[in-house]
Amino acid sequence: MNFLGNILYDSVYHATPILLCVLGGIFAYKANVLNIALEGMMLAGAFVSMLVSYLTGNIALGYLAAIAVCLLIGLIFSFMTVTYKGNVIVVGLAINMVVPAIAGFVLQYMESANIRLTWKDVSDFKIHIPVIDKIPILGDILSGHTPITYLSFIGIFFIWLLMYRTKFGIYVRVVGENEDAARNLGLNTNKYRYLAILLGAFCCSLAGINLALERMVLFTNNMTAGRGFIAIAAIYCGQGDPVSSALYAIVFGAARALAVNMGLYAGPAAALFDVIPYVVMGIVLTIVSMLKYRNQKVRGFH
Amino acid sequence: MKKSEKKFNIFPKIVNTLLPVLLAFLIGAIIIAAIGENPLTVYRIMLGKSLFTAKGLSNTLHYASPLLLTGLAIAITFKANIFNMGVEGQLLLGGFFSGLVGASLQIGSPVLHKIICMAVGMLFGVLFALVPALLKAFYHVDEMVVTLTLNYAMIKILEYLSSGPFREDGSGYVCTPTIKETAMFSRLGNSKLTLFFFIALGVLILMAFVMRKTKLGYEVTAIGKNPEFSEATGMRVRRKIIVLMCISGALAGLAGSGQMMSEAFKYTLTFSGTTGLGWDGMLIALLGRHTPGGILLAAVFYSGLKTGADNINMYTSVPKEIVGVLQGLIILFLAVRFFNEKYGFTERYKMWRESRRVTE
Repeated sequence: MNFLGNILYDSVYHATPILLCVLGGIFAYKANVLNIALEGMMLAGAFVSMLVSYLTGNIALGYLAAIAVCLLIGLIFSFMTVTYKGNVIVVGLAINMVVPAIAGFVLQYMESANIRLTWKDVSDFKIHIPVIDKIPILGDILSGHTPITYLSFIGIFFIWLLMYRTKFGIYVRVVGENEDAARNLGLNTNKYRYLAILLGAFCCSLAGINLALERMVLFTNNMTAGRGFIAIAAIYCGQGDPVSSALYAIVFGAARALAVNMGLYAGPAAALFDVIPYVVMGIVLTIVSMLKYRNQKVRGFH
Repeated sequence: MKKSEKKFNIFPKIVNTLLPVLLAFLIGAIIIAAIGENPLTVYRIMLGKSLFTAKGLSNTLHYASPLLLTGLAIAITFKANIFNMGVEGQLLLGGFFSGLVGASLQIGSPVLHKIICMAVGMLFGVLFALVPALLKAFYHVDEMVVTLTLNYAMIKILEYLSSGPFREDGSGYVCTPTIKETAMFSRLGNSKLTLFFFIALGVLILMAFVMRKTKLGYEVTAIGKNPEFSEATGMRVRRKIIVLMCISGALAGLAGSGQMMSEAFKYTLTFSGTTGLGWDGMLIALLGRHTPGGILLAAVFYSGLKTGADNINMYTSVPKEIVGVLQGLIILFLAVRFFNEKYGFTERYKMWRESRRVTE
């Protein structure tokens, strides 16, 4: 593959976990529960999928266990924040701290720095689409990805459908915009919050599985490296709209792809290119925020 | 009247602070038991040596000094409902540059050298905190997301600087040159305690005064409760946010340079330890309920836990990462108020009986 092809392929590759987190976080954002625990849930998905696959030798069990554990974390998160009205940010950060600590504890107990599966290869997960594979640039973008990658891009459409064309989506948005109105309608507001958070947990578990099991067949602690927070930035930029938030996720994925590919030629300064995605995130967030408040004529700070 | 009201409220407050700790230890005990160790002996080793022996306690106080400052750094912003999650990055940056100044400057006077090092640490902490502060104040950019992600960027940049341009030649691992002796805080007596602990304590008292007795302290609480109302009454919320973030950054930077000058003496990739001094600060701020006295107690307790963790690694097969698990669990449970603090237990019991009587 040429340089351009590499970047395009990697953009899709790096956008996937961020995109899944965005899709997962959108409903919670719309239900007015800021889910910072995306990062921790993603890491839990990555960790559990690898650990269970390693222990049982069965990939499918790894998938299921990761989804189950993430749903459990989502349940704890919603129990603490929705039922017990705990501070959302503190609970989210606590989950972000507990997950890597437990992963580190287990890794230390296993006396190993990472988990890898020797009997499975990265290329096993890749799907090559027969005809498109041969077309120069389109083939780079569309072919040779993992199942969850395809699922995540199809997911944009389904999440859009769920949010704007179903009762569930409307109810979640009503709960977020005006809780009193929702309650007067006879909606069980807590139920919709729970469901929104659990949907997010499910998407995050897929992101984690994609990150560790499908892409690298390797788990190292803290391998999520702030992708969950970048996803939150993307949600903020897109203001919770599935399509535009997803577009921002792809932009951040492209920034990382650019950083990785340019880093290959940079020699010793390669580490500096790792900074690009985070800086791009800051700049994009600022620009979006500037545009949003540009026409505001109200005096003072709001 | 007011006094009796206060007395009513203090008991649930204590329960709400202690219960999360107990719950976290309970879950920790289950984990320890699951890998086949006796949780009680593990906890005894963990806390006994570090909190209940003279030498252990002085070591604990030594390790608590940067934690005091990071706890304050987080508490002061949390109180105003601003979330400076970049304390970790600010601490690393401050520590790194005060280390560089400590290693490269040739100054005869030890006092002057130390002051310059600390000033540089604080300056860089402030500079790094200024980025999210300005973005928040002028463009409404969410400071939490920015600081959280900038931490990662900062860690990468410092990794590059310490393994590239500023690497100590001839050392087996990645580190910067060791700081000069004039910049090191010397140990007092045969304990690990240095002057830095008393500096941190002094800053704590100063901040307690600022929070309780000055206009700024009042405004911080007001902004935390209702920024729009504060703005409407004429407080300059925008400017206060910048000031607060700068204070927070300065405290974090000072914590970093103190860690550099009293403990690490050079920047390594594990400069701020396994859970990270900045993250520990969050636990301490929450556990101490954003009050200076609480922060002091919480910092000593948590530092005891951390120094004790080294002991359990020595005497048992439990990995010392258990402290990270406990830390996260304590924060998780601290987020929830188990008991309503507006009413005391007796009052609530009376109210409950009243309501029963009405329905009957």
